[in-house]
This record gives sequence, structure tokens and C-alpha cells, in this order.
Amino acid sequence: MSVSKNIILFALLSVLLIVFMLAMQDLDVLYNSYGRDYYLLYGLEETGSRNLVSAIYLDYRLFDSLFEAGILLIAVSGIIWISKHDIEEKNAKFMIDKYKTPDLFVTFSRLVYPLMLTFGFYVIINGHLSPGGGFQGGAIVATAILILYYIDSERETNIGLIVTIEKYIFMTIIVLASISLFTRGTFFTNFMPLDASLQMKSIYLVLLNLLIGFKVALGLWTIFTAFLKEGR
Amino acid sequence: MGDLTLIDASAYALQVLLIILAIAIVMHKNNGTIIILIASFSLVTASLYVLNSAPDVAIAEIAINSAIIPLIYVISISRQREYIILDKVNDDFIISDNSFTGIGYVILKRFADFYHLELNITNDPGLCALGEGEDQVLCEATNVDLIITKDTETNQYVFKGKNSSILIHKLEQLTKDHDNIRVVKFKDRDVGE
Repeated sequence: MSVSKNIILFALLSVLLIVFMLAMQDLDVLYNSYGRDYYLLYGLEETGSRNLVSAIYLDYRLFDSLFEAGILLIAVSGIIWISKHDIEEKNAKFMIDKYKTPDLFVTFSRLVYPLMLTFGFYVIINGHLSPGGGFQGGAIVATAILILYYIDSERETNIGLIVTIEKYIFMTIIVLASISLFTRGTFFTNFMPLDASLQMKSIYLVLLNLLIGFKVALGLWTIFTAFLKEGR
Repeated sequence: MGDLTLIDASAYALQVLLIILAIAIVMHKNNGTIIILIASFSLVTASLYVLNSAPDVAIAEIAINSAIIPLIYVISISRQREYIILDKVNDDFIISDNSFTGIGYVILKRFADFYHLELNITNDPGLCALGEGEDQVLCEATNVDLIITKDTETNQYVFKGKNSSILIHKLEQLTKDHDNIRVVKFKDRDVGE
């Protein structure tokens, strides 16, 4: 029984491999540099972003980014759902026990916390000029908030409020991305006209990066608070 | 091999280091060391991203995998070390003279020290107010490991825990000689049974 199963599995895998190799014939068509060349030539001019990664995920492929932000929201909802306690219970006191966290760690966290927060916001706001952006900066801000829990173990968090704010920010992102329908005639792109200056265009980029950064920070905050509350 | 630049050489070295770290993560036994290894693994990965001109991905990798994930692991493991006991007995079995000196506490302390656990004894009034019949549900729904009650008929202290926990079996062996302690093990049930 198991031998015949193995044979069927092997045959299926071989068919898959052959189909895959046949599909990969036209590598020159698949791996071309048209897209790259286009972004290099027109990216800065069209989107106002010096960081071409930001240019792609905030302008050319904003539709994809919206769903990526949605995935995080769904993941947060799933984690709250799986961790089985209701929201009121989760708002209970935080429980990293004070005497268990080493003093050295607490002192060092106090020192590092403002720096982390500043660096996080720097990465968010400068997302269109230097490497980084909403997601990366949001993750750094979330780490800073996590450090805060080690400093003050008596901290209380209202998860319901955080999730609500996150949902509203997600809706604001969609609305901000849709404004371009009225100014440019298409969905999900920069709402400034195409011939506006780079500074004008970067207003939109900074706004969207800030919103995405807040959303990611709040989402990660919810996730690790759910983990922390799970203990008690 | 002739035109091997410094960047190429360091990339190869980092990739070898990555394999070594991955094997070390799988082979190592100490949880604390594994967390540090995971953090350094993602640090090496981030350096490789930078070498391949992807600084955006490198920043995300550092922020998520060498900061948030290890901190979450630290919290999860510190939870695992605890043995949470719900004390429903209101006499001097655990707490006598307002301190942990009762005979029950001495037994449990010896047990916890032997298995490198930290005792966390609570007499939360909300949980204690639940009736005897709720004890099994309490064990399943919360992370209380042991519930201590008193049987008024036989004058015995009853330790209640889940049958699937190995520790409750060890506790049963340890308290075999004590006549006034009885261990009750709850059979595991499927969800909705």
C-alpha cells in the first residue's frame, strides 16, 4: 500500500518537475530588464521618491501594498481569536514579574528607548529618501514599545482601543490612496498632479508612510500583548 | 577564483556562517542560547541582504527577526518556567503566619527546586469563588497547573491537575508517603466533549 503510494507521489513529482522545466524555457522573456530600466529612468520623476522600493510600493504597486496591510490586520484578528480570552480579560494587568527582569536590562532599556523611538520615526518619515519606510519603521517603533513593557511591568494596555485605532488607520490609508481618483482620474496613486514638484509629491509619500508605520506598529503591539497576556 | 573581490569573499564567509548557525540552532539544547543564535542568524542574513544591495529588506529583517521575535521568545520561555498553583485552601497548609512556611509549601518548593521551576502561588478571589465542579474546566481553560482544595470528609488536601502533564505524575510519586495529600488527575477531553 505504502509502496504504491510512494510510486504515485514520485510520478506526480516527476510530472511537476517536467512541466516546470518546460515552463521555464523562455527565460529571456521572463528575466528582462524593461521594468528595472523604466523605474530607474522615470521613477523619481513620476513618484517623487528617491528610494525606488518606496516608489514601487507606494505608487506603482500601491494596490498590492493595501492588501499587505490588510494581511497584518487579519493576522492580528486571528491571533486575538486564537488566544481565546475575550477583550476585557486581555486588558488585565501586564505580567512580566518585576523581580525577574534584571536591573541591568531595565536600566539599559530606559537608555535605549527614546533612541529607538526616534530612529523608528526617522526611518518612517525618511522612507522615500533613504532605505526604510512604513513597515520597517513601524517594526522599530513596535520594538521600542515592547521594551517599555520591560521597564514598567505594571503597565496596562487596552487592546480593544489599539485594534480599533488600527482599523480606522487602515480605512484612512484606503481613502488617502483613493483621492487620486478625483485629481488624476485613476485609483491608488499619488494624489498630486503628475507635473507637480518633487516636494509636493513627497507630501503624499510621507503621509502614507506615516499611516502605514502607525498601522504596523499598532498591529505588532497587539500581537505581542496577546502573547504577554496569554500567560495569566 | 581569480577575480574574487572582498565583497564576494565576505558573502561566501557569511553564507558558511549561516549554515553553521542553522545547525547550531537545531542541535542546541539550552533555550536561552537558541534565542541568541536565532538573533545572530538574522543579523548575518541582514548583512547578506546589504551585500546584495537590499537595505530595505535588511532593516525589516533586523527589526522583526533580531528584535521582536527573540523578545517574544524570551517571554514565552519565562512563562514556561512557571508552575502556577491556585490555592483554594484557607488554612495554614500553604500560608502560615502570613508567610510561605506551611507544610504544603515546603513539599511544593522541594518539588519545584528539583525540576528547576518557579512556583507562582495565587489565591485569586475570582478564580477561588468557582465551585468544585469547575476545577477541570479551570485547568483546561486557563494555564493554572495545579489546584489545591481540601476534602472536608476525609480531611485530606487534594492536588488537582491535568493527566497529560508529566509533572503531576512526579508530584504523585513525591507525595506518596503523605497520608493527608491526595492527587487527582483530570483525563484529557476533546474540544466540545
